[in-house]
Amino acid sequence: MTDDTTKNDGTQVNTATDTESRNVTVAERPDGGYRVTVCAGTACVFAGSLAVFDAFVQEVEQAGLGDSVEVSIIGCHGLCSMSPVVVLSDDTLYGHLRPADVAKVVEGHLKGGEPVEKFLYKDAQTGERIRDWHEIGFYKAQTRIALRDVGVIDPESIEAYLARGGYDAARLALTEKTPEWIIEHITDSGIRGRGGAGFPTGVKWKFANQSKSDEKYLICNADEGDPGAFMDCSILEGDPHTVIEGMIIGSYAIGAHEGYVYVRAEYPLAVKRLTMAVADAEARGLLGDDIFGTGWAFNVHLKLGAGAFVCGEETALIASIEGKRGMPRTRPPFPAVSGLWGKPTNINNVETLANVPWIIMHGAEAYAALGVEHCRGTKAFSLAGKLVNGGLAEVPMGSTLRHVIFDVGGGIKGGKKFKAVQLGGPSGGCIPASLLDTPVDYESLAATGAIVGSGGMVVVDDETCMVDLARFFLDFTQKESCGKCIPCRLGTKRMLETLDRIIAGDGREGDIELLQELGGYIIDGSLCALGGTAPNPVLTTIKYFRDEYEAHINERRCPAGKCKSLITYYIDAEACTGCTLCAKKCPTNCIAGEKKQLHVIDVANCIKCDTCRQVCKFDAVKVRSGVEQAVAGVASGAEG
Amino acid sequence: MLGMLKAMRTTLKHLPMKKITVQYPEQRERLPERSRGLFRVVIDPASGEPRCRACTLCESNCPVQVIRVNYTSKYRLPVPNAARLAEARFAAQAGLDLKALQPVLDDYYEHGTGLIAMLQNAQDAYGYLPRIAIHEISLQTGISLSQIYGVSSFYNQFRLSPVGERIIDVCHGTACHVAGAMQITEALEEELGVADGKTTTDMKFTLSSVACMGACSQAPVMRIGESTYGALTPDKTRKIIRDLMAEVGAEKG
Repeated sequence: MTDDTTKNDGTQVNTATDTESRNVTVAERPDGGYRVTVCAGTACVFAGSLAVFDAFVQEVEQAGLGDSVEVSIIGCHGLCSMSPVVVLSDDTLYGHLRPADVAKVVEGHLKGGEPVEKFLYKDAQTGERIRDWHEIGFYKAQTRIALRDVGVIDPESIEAYLARGGYDAARLALTEKTPEWIIEHITDSGIRGRGGAGFPTGVKWKFANQSKSDEKYLICNADEGDPGAFMDCSILEGDPHTVIEGMIIGSYAIGAHEGYVYVRAEYPLAVKRLTMAVADAEARGLLGDDIFGTGWAFNVHLKLGAGAFVCGEETALIASIEGKRGMPRTRPPFPAVSGLWGKPTNINNVETLANVPWIIMHGAEAYAALGVEHCRGTKAFSLAGKLVNGGLAEVPMGSTLRHVIFDVGGGIKGGKKFKAVQLGGPSGGCIPASLLDTPVDYESLAATGAIVGSGGMVVVDDETCMVDLARFFLDFTQKESCGKCIPCRLGTKRMLETLDRIIAGDGREGDIELLQELGGYIIDGSLCALGGTAPNPVLTTIKYFRDEYEAHINERRCPAGKCKSLITYYIDAEACTGCTLCAKKCPTNCIAGEKKQLHVIDVANCIKCDTCRQVCKFDAVKVRSGVEQAVAGVASGAEG
Repeated sequence: MLGMLKAMRTTLKHLPMKKITVQYPEQRERLPERSRGLFRVVIDPASGEPRCRACTLCESNCPVQVIRVNYTSKYRLPVPNAARLAEARFAAQAGLDLKALQPVLDDYYEHGTGLIAMLQNAQDAYGYLPRIAIHEISLQTGISLSQIYGVSSFYNQFRLSPVGERIIDVCHGTACHVAGAMQITEALEEELGVADGKTTTDMKFTLSSVACMGACSQAPVMRIGESTYGALTPDKTRKIIRDLMAEVGAEKG
């Protein structure tokens, strides 16, 4: 069965040194037929890609192309803003496909050989349709190492991974190299932990290796709890074997025979694919008691997180695996000395481990050649928010934020103005337009008050209220605080109350200073990074967007028009055509007006649900920041 | 001689000074403001026995880890015995079928599944963690009730009350928040007639929110059972939920 698949694919099994073929994306069939790969990353699944997949299978069958066209799924291809994404073996990328559109593609492209213009990527600036995905700016501006096979291979097939040279690095490491060679190699590559803290991986492995113990553990931290980050999720969904391979190499380097993957239960697809991958690897003897005939034993177990953000912290994660409340503890002793069940334990992030096989195969120098001093290699980011091209991106360390947001991300959607980029989730901060030329590396970003973090990048335009955004993150950390350290448990609560007051229009003189003071105490008085970074979103927004806080407090208005207590909806007399659509959709029936007559919103009953503004086709529903002012506006609108 | 004189001088010098000795326990000094004192187990005046039940919560919560709880035989965890089991079953929700729990416990005995995995399995079986199931796990495994409640109340995943047939998860990640996830939750609250986190009285729907589902480009998104919905607007959400409510015959409230 497995051999047949390999033959059918027409893919050649690559040798260890065959790096050229890694640039090939989806191998073409020797008979000239097509391979259709449908993205089954989380975003595409949400957009209905599985129905598109079924439609392809059905349509291909009906068109009688069953022999020459193969349909399969891939992990996240990256360009999530086009989802559901379908990639053909001639590198054509189709996006926004609905199951009903599939017939057109099958008829036009697979049968007729002509790409269907309508579903190709459209360049926002030139308006030009681009067929080959390599030519799309989003992909051209990237350098992919950790994501090298994500979105390229079928994640549910170990054959597909093996065919691309999978497990060669583990074989090389276990059969020909010593643990010392591996650690030295990883240290030379300059890779630092991709989970956020940026501790050099080689040094970490060295500590774990030097710890004397009858048993050691290797843990892969896949508890990606940051809202707005999905790189680890995409790697696990798109290329689970590379993580397992990284773990095998790591286990050999530090001397561990048991490995755990601590993965979020909120990522059901990643859990499913990882479970399959572990079972496949075990069946092929790539995990077990005798790997590659070297006698090296290593087993991987899956542990599902139960929904606690703090468990991304390594000591809390260990407590959680032990079945306790996930609360961090003081260090030292560091996990490398006393970790899981009191034994030396090494914890690495998913992305770090995904880089390891590449470094072993291509050499430390090749990896160190990328990036900048002290920050080598690449970093994966998840781009989300108001961007033209949202999705999964990997760029060399030291690229500027401008490069990531405008070259890869394609700029702001709808021609709006860039306001800020939020980096590093609830632990990170907001960076304003004036700092767009900051290079993306651990130290430079820390200097701005933000952090690289796990790599979530959410771009916001001028419709987002920064006070509200800061409140959102603080609300999150406040709920997720484990409660051990009082400054974090109560301090975040106090800060949240203050922000709530500001948003509700009851801000007081001195609230900004209070927030800054409390923030400082929380940072100083917390044991782990959750508390130590929790005030960052508030402190950075105060630092760069102080005027917005002041507008909320002093003028009782929300400049972005988001905070409900500080805005009023009204209908623009000029633009309203009297189509009655808003009145029909209003959940509280507070919009009055006859057909073809100007409509008026009854401010007293308006719940500010924003529905009318979203349904209006003529942009006649407007938001005015400030309350008293707006009441006057409505009155004048009614008269006009 | 000289040494003696020196000693005498010191004595004489201190003689007229105010005494620094405090006649404890008759006299008590005011403790320094930041003094924390020492730990002591409170004795219940009625029974004369310590109130501490060795729940270990102080041990696990101490930020500097100076507390070690040693169990004495008196407060050792209960061992399974028929009378205790019967009592516990009676006390908790009688009538709940505990058969579904057996595979979970078997798994514990055979493979040594951790407490969290055991609770996850139990929740899969019942949809939530019924009190009786928690008691049963405690009695059968010897893990203290306080530890199980400690763990199950710590993690967001565990629910201690029953949920509806369908769980509506609205994503409240950063991208979804910026794209208006709050408006989606509000629209659902209004259509279902229940607040976020609550279940409709006919037990058809539970409305809940999650931190991030990783589908940021489709923001705002929600998941109802196995179905996923992306690029929502309040209006679209209302339509989806109205159709679904009509389909399953659910009532508002």
